[in-house]
Amino acid sequence: MTPSPGQPTAPERERILVVDDEFGIREGCRRVLTSEGYQVQTAADGLEGLETFRQEKNFAAALIDLKMPRMGGLELIDAIRKEDPDIMLLVITAYATIQTAVEATKKGAYGYIPKPFTPDELLLPLRNGLEKRSLALEAKRLRAERERRLLEITEERSKLRTIIECMTDGVAVVNQDKQVVLENAALARFLPEARPNSWPAPMAALGYPELISILEEALKAGTAPLISSTEITLDNRTYMVNASPVAEPGHDPFGAVAVVREITAIKQLAVAKSMFISMVAHELKSPLAAIEAFLDLILSRPESMTAEKQQEMMERCVLRARNLRNMVTELLNLVAIETGHLSLKRTPIELGSVVEEVVELQRPKAEAKQLEMILDLPEQQDTTQVLADKEALSCIITNLVDNAIKYTPDQGRVDVSVSCDEHLVKLAVRDSGIGMTEKERESAFDEFYRAKNKHTASIPGTGLGLSVVKRLVEMHNGVISLASEPGQGSTFTISFQSL
Amino acid sequence: MNDRPAVIMLVDDDQDFLDINESLLVASGYQVLPFCDRESAFGQICRQKPDLVITDLMMESLDAGFSLARRIKQEPALADLPVIIVTAISSQLGFNFTPRTPEELKSLHADAFLEKPVPPDKLLATVRELLK
Repeated sequence: MTPSPGQPTAPERERILVVDDEFGIREGCRRVLTSEGYQVQTAADGLEGLETFRQEKNFAAALIDLKMPRMGGLELIDAIRKEDPDIMLLVITAYATIQTAVEATKKGAYGYIPKPFTPDELLLPLRNGLEKRSLALEAKRLRAERERRLLEITEERSKLRTIIECMTDGVAVVNQDKQVVLENAALARFLPEARPNSWPAPMAALGYPELISILEEALKAGTAPLISSTEITLDNRTYMVNASPVAEPGHDPFGAVAVVREITAIKQLAVAKSMFISMVAHELKSPLAAIEAFLDLILSRPESMTAEKQQEMMERCVLRARNLRNMVTELLNLVAIETGHLSLKRTPIELGSVVEEVVELQRPKAEAKQLEMILDLPEQQDTTQVLADKEALSCIITNLVDNAIKYTPDQGRVDVSVSCDEHLVKLAVRDSGIGMTEKERESAFDEFYRAKNKHTASIPGTGLGLSVVKRLVEMHNGVISLASEPGQGSTFTISFQSL
Repeated sequence: MNDRPAVIMLVDDDQDFLDINESLLVASGYQVLPFCDRESAFGQICRQKPDLVITDLMMESLDAGFSLARRIKQEPALADLPVIIVTAISSQLGFNFTPRTPEELKSLHADAFLEKPVPPDKLLATVRELLK
């Protein structure tokens, strides 16, 4: 059988040092050992033996004569043993006495062979000694391995402990005997009462009935997969507590773990969402109620009003229905912006020319109210280049111009101007309309906000236009601002980076 | 009802509801005072007490109608002035504004609580009942 690489070295290949001042013994040993496959080095006295040992290294065994010139065998045994605790030492001596043998074994020799000896008398103790050496080496290797593993486990444990301690979620673990065995810093931060004084502590030390009962529930579940949730509210903060049994597959459960996460912000978001939905519901229901009331009145008591009045009411119905439809469209736009589904195709575009287009489209509405609408554009249109989505830009400008026309009484004036410097392109829409109070200015961009006073009562609007405008401007990295005083008109200014 | 037509004040920030109720009430022989905000309405009430007030609930604030009703009922000279509160949203965020018992109605300082749109017959019947 060919030994494959990686297998332990076969005993035939081991290196053996023979130190004896008798040439016959040295060469006799060499022959016997070489024929058995060992590699053999010889030395004629203790000092030469030590030098050879130091130069050649990696001897598995040494055969050492006790009585030699320059350095004796006992001295050599001492020196070698100091440098290699694992080497197997055999004493060969013609003067074997109990005393020297005992002394040699005390110094670490495996045994001794009295001279003269037959090849078998040499080989038998040598093989036994080598076998004992390799067993000792293997045991040593296993011991080292075990120690290394223990170290790794300890490191792993402290790593896990650190990870659990640094988690932003609170963690508490209880064992099957209902004792708290682990708790991290976040838990103590969230639920300060849940700090046991000593470990392991009874589960009651966790202090919060919700936390205790959910852990008990998880303990009862045994190995069945279970995640139960509850919420704890403390000092206006809300915590979500999830608990599950701690069990390895095929083993009895060890206990239960609870993870506590702060969900205050999510809760607030949910409330804000509900409020928004009820606001939407109110805004949708009001025009529907108005339409229904108009139709109900016309159908149930046509005799109580003139034909003109009925006509007027029908027209109001159409207006409210149209307004309702616009509101739904704008709500959908708002949702598309909020969810990121509105994708802008931004290309270099002349703001001036888009403004011109929109103003001309809106002009008939202004003329119907006998408004003077003035458009002021820079002479060089190409200086008004911005990176924008054409449709979004149109929507922004249309909303602003439409608002200016709507909120300006008949015979008023609307000024639309575009200006630019080396960094910014600005659009200003100024009206001579009813203006806004400070409170109205603050809420102007809020969803569904509409200034409500005697001037605005008959002006249709969804309360969503400016919210959409603001979001669209911001999606273009632009800025929108508002200057207004009651009775002094309003000016909306938007700025974009120039190209 | 004596020979003078009863004066009914309407308070609503929705111009259409003012128009609708005004048409209905005027056709039924009442005199109508429409107002679109709570403040000027209350000022008018103090100057000249109407016979009945119909107010919207949500105007400049969520409960503008309630606060108008409370101010009326807490003023000794106005305490007997009947108030009808109407609203398009009778419940919000789990609160149900709709009173279920006469006690709840009284605690809202209202004599009737109706949901928009109020059927014309129902509004007229309620008005007649409260003006008795």
